[in-house]
Amino acid sequence: MASRPTAPDRMRRVLAVIPWIVANPGQPVRTVAARFGLTERELLDDLNVVYLVGLPPYSPDALIDVDIDDEGGVTIRLADFFSRPLRLTPAQGLALLASSDGLLSVPGSEPDGALARALQKLGASLGVGPDDALDVHLGDAEARVLDQLRRAAAEGAEVDITYYSYGRDERGARTVTPWRVFAEAGAWYLHAWCSQAGDERVFRVDRIEHLDPRGTPSDHPAPGPDGHEGDGGGVAAGVTVFQPRHDDPRVRLRLSPDAAWVVDAYPAEVLERSGDGHLVAELVVTAIPWLERLLLRLGPEAEVVGHQGLPDAGELAARAADRILQRYRLG
Amino acid sequence: MVNKLERLLNLTAVLLATRRPLSAEDLRDRVEGYPPPGAAFHRAFERDKDDLRVMGIPIRVERVPATDPPVDGYRIDPSDYYLPDPGLEADELAALHLASMAVRVDGLADQEALWKLGGVVDTGGAVVEQAVTSIPIDPALVPLFQAIVDHRQVTFDYRGEARTVDPWRLRFQRGRWYLTGFDHLRGDERNYRLDRIDGPVELTGGPVTHLRPGAAPTGSGPQPAWELGDDEPVTARLLVDAVAVAGARRQLGATAAEEPRPDGSVVFTVPVVNVEAFRTFLLGFLHRAELLEPEAWRRDLVAWLEAVAGGAPGHG
Repeated sequence: MASRPTAPDRMRRVLAVIPWIVANPGQPVRTVAARFGLTERELLDDLNVVYLVGLPPYSPDALIDVDIDDEGGVTIRLADFFSRPLRLTPAQGLALLASSDGLLSVPGSEPDGALARALQKLGASLGVGPDDALDVHLGDAEARVLDQLRRAAAEGAEVDITYYSYGRDERGARTVTPWRVFAEAGAWYLHAWCSQAGDERVFRVDRIEHLDPRGTPSDHPAPGPDGHEGDGGGVAAGVTVFQPRHDDPRVRLRLSPDAAWVVDAYPAEVLERSGDGHLVAELVVTAIPWLERLLLRLGPEAEVVGHQGLPDAGELAARAADRILQRYRLG
Repeated sequence: MVNKLERLLNLTAVLLATRRPLSAEDLRDRVEGYPPPGAAFHRAFERDKDDLRVMGIPIRVERVPATDPPVDGYRIDPSDYYLPDPGLEADELAALHLASMAVRVDGLADQEALWKLGGVVDTGGAVVEQAVTSIPIDPALVPLFQAIVDHRQVTFDYRGEARTVDPWRLRFQRGRWYLTGFDHLRGDERNYRLDRIDGPVELTGGPVTHLRPGAAPTGSGPQPAWELGDDEPVTARLLVDAVAVAGARRQLGATAAEEPRPDGSVVFTVPVVNVEAFRTFLLGFLHRAELLEPEAWRRDLVAWLEAVAGGAPGHG
């Protein structure tokens, strides 16, 4: 990361720094450097090149004039051609709009706040109505629930929740210590200590059906990544939404090419690949209803060819299908 | 020896200041630091042009007037180069900065974008300790966004067919990117999953001919997967048991009409343009939901379940 910046790297920041100094004359070197994330030395090195830039015949009146006064204030004159920054590239415009629109989609965000105004202005300068061109939705959740979970995480306090486990198809009461709330693949998750499990767990926020702050401090504070609190590393900071355990049962499926996505969507080990695109993969099964739903959904695209710790794996999907079919035969 | 940064800055200044296109030789005369005429100069000049283009500096290539045979000339049109001032207040710039830290867009660095908008400002003590999420990008995303900004048609291959599309809107939801636009092959509005676009998205250069009818849909809720598809629109009726109604309502959102029954179950009326996604959705309820209509889908579903159950059709 600390490698020497290339000429184009330096040029990118010079083309942004010059217009800012032109528009804000007399600001201290220190202030300008901080604003652009540079050391004072780096900024001075850049300015040492800038005053050599200009138009032919490169006489003093055709060169950019950089002046640093006795108090360290910087002024730039005669830089008309660099008086405005370079346009945002489409990728940069997209990234800024997507970040802003995504954050505004978080339940409970201010629809008329500074970010919303910034998004409107930025969209207008890019020539798009931001509502028309882009819509980033991070996930459904109740603003109140997100807010209470975040507050509890900040305070290190316990909360009582009623949680519906989709995978196990059951609901239950738990006491948890929220550690972190994050969005992934279109849903909100809570990474927390679960007192019932006596271990850390990841919960889907939209399956928390009831929430009650207990107001009691927890004995299980959030672990900082490598001991550093919040250094903003990876998004899930080492947390994966799904963590298989050693003794979880496993099922072996033969998948047609149309069902090959399964090995990307779930933790799976591919055991065989045949020339016609079929593959055999082993999947971890954390809950029977999850496997039933997967097999029902895949239908003829998947076949159970083996298992470990699931005596009736071969019959599961057939029985689930029969249960559903009974409704249709009566109706 | 003139350093490369100085040469690139001078080259950009000269290209911005000129009204008429300048040939490579003109530029060599005006910009210090190039090798003498010949192969070494041309290599250096080509490299510099590439460097500027990668930075997003828009160099126009035009014929130098009164040359025969024609000679390529270069210039930068100031209106292509300068960022129109969005007029951001300090608190708005700070909010953008925080947003770009909280919601990262994988693979699209925005540090330079924030520099262009005026650098990093004091966020009033607010800090983002950890990103809230990170949004993946798709190779088709930037070309499609550019086409939307420029109001230009695009072509790409989708489900085995070459499509010409007037792009209207990009949506990110449930972890995936979708495009909404007017499909000239279908003659109607369609949605596409970006990860199912085969090969590159080409900007054909033609202006869009169909604009989005009316305003964008209100409410920022996500569209369910069965509303994002390419199938003929069909209305389905789904009976959901009382115990599963709350979950169904959460997923179906506001687009589904509800008919409550005395036992607490509810019949939802759902518009569907993606049959496969809808089947996945309703199988998620296991035996707690029943597809009532359309009759043809009901028959297909029964056949599907019978295949899984291992019984021949008509088994009973």
